Amino acid sequence: MKKEKTEELIVKWIDGQLDSNEERQLSALFQEDPDLEKELQEMKALSESVSAEIPASVEPPYGDFFNSQLMRKVDLEIESRTPARKVERWWESFRWAWAPAGALALVLSFFAGHRVARPADAPIVQGQAETIRIESLPTVYFTGESLDAEVIADSNGEVSAIVVNGLSAIRDDIDVATVTTSTVLPKSYSKSEARRFD
Amino acid sequence: MNFFRWLAFKQLMAPAGASSDAGAGDGEIPDHKLIEACQKGDTRAFETLVTRHRGKVYAMVQNMIKNEADAWDLSQEVFLKVWKALPRFEARAKFSTWLYRITHNVVYDWLRKRRIDSAGELDDGILNESDIAAGARTTPTTVARPDQALANSELGERINAALATLNAEHRETILLREVQGFDYKEIAKVMECSLGTVMSRLYYARKKLQALLGDEKGKD
Repeated sequence: MKKEKTEELIVKWIDGQLDSNEERQLSALFQEDPDLEKELQEMKALSESVSAEIPASVEPPYGDFFNSQLMRKVDLEIESRTPARKVERWWESFRWAWAPAGALALVLSFFAGHRVARPADAPIVQGQAETIRIESLPTVYFTGESLDAEVIADSNGEVSAIVVNGLSAIRDDIDVATVTTSTVLPKSYSKSEARRFD
Repeated sequence: MNFFRWLAFKQLMAPAGASSDAGAGDGEIPDHKLIEACQKGDTRAFETLVTRHRGKVYAMVQNMIKNEADAWDLSQEVFLKVWKALPRFEARAKFSTWLYRITHNVVYDWLRKRRIDSAGELDDGILNESDIAAGARTTPTTVARPDQALANSELGERINAALATLNAEHRETILLREVQGFDYKEIAKVMECSLGTVMSRLYYARKKLQALLGDEKGKD
């Protein structure tokens, strides 16, 4: 008889699970080895002792705390699985149309831009509206003929800078913040600084 | 909990006899009813299920790892995994088998992490049949006579000590069979192995216990 089959017969005999055919097979083994039955009787008694001595159920210490801790973890698990509910606004129901609408807007903007664009070589002043804007720019006057000014403005006529050309460079050794009229400066500087500090 | 869920739970928790679905003859709601409620998200039903089964799970874990504090934590982990997996639980499976399968996984993960799987165990290859049979003459008594009460409690300790020296597979097989009363097929499902392996583990585990307790008796 195979070793595995013998093991199975012994296990089943201890557990009282042998059928009649298997009982016959084991009886034959008992006849071959008279000590086997006694040995198996001891093994069976040991199995019964294990069943009797080891409890199948032992309440965990602090059973209420066990449950409360577990349910807290379960609540956290539920929270982590539930996505935050967001109130959907009416336009969000048309979310599917956002991409095509954006693409359409881009195409329309492109063609509209082409139709209103000014040719690159056209003069700056063209048409009444732009003339009016240029007339509304401030006029800069200088006493000296060597000076001129460039007024920088946006398309709405808002002046952002006036660049004066023709002034001599300010020397590096002059501290403009503490300058006084006694400082040796060119005449034009002296006058303008004197007006500023008066 | 909204009203309808509260109402459904109240019906579920009604005493036995209040409705045909009330539960088993002992007045308890059957596991499958509680599981159905859990699968709908009912945490109170889950707590009832936990209270019912926590003792068995804790005993199994405690007997496997022999550490109370870790057994407490691992039992928590078992039930948390049960909660997460309950939506996938199918009614055709037996709940206790499924629960012990999860317990098995949690315990083995822990054992792997601790690397204590092989510490102090006996090797099947070393303990073959001829080595054991000669000296294995232990017949522990199960008679609980008053004058033997002390001896019996000592016997319990000795069995526990002997169980602790078995490797995890043999210990678990013995616990599932002798303590929890599982049949061979259920053990195979819990431990995810063949019936032949279950038979072999049971045979060698019993042999080892017999040898270990026989040696103990010889010392007395």
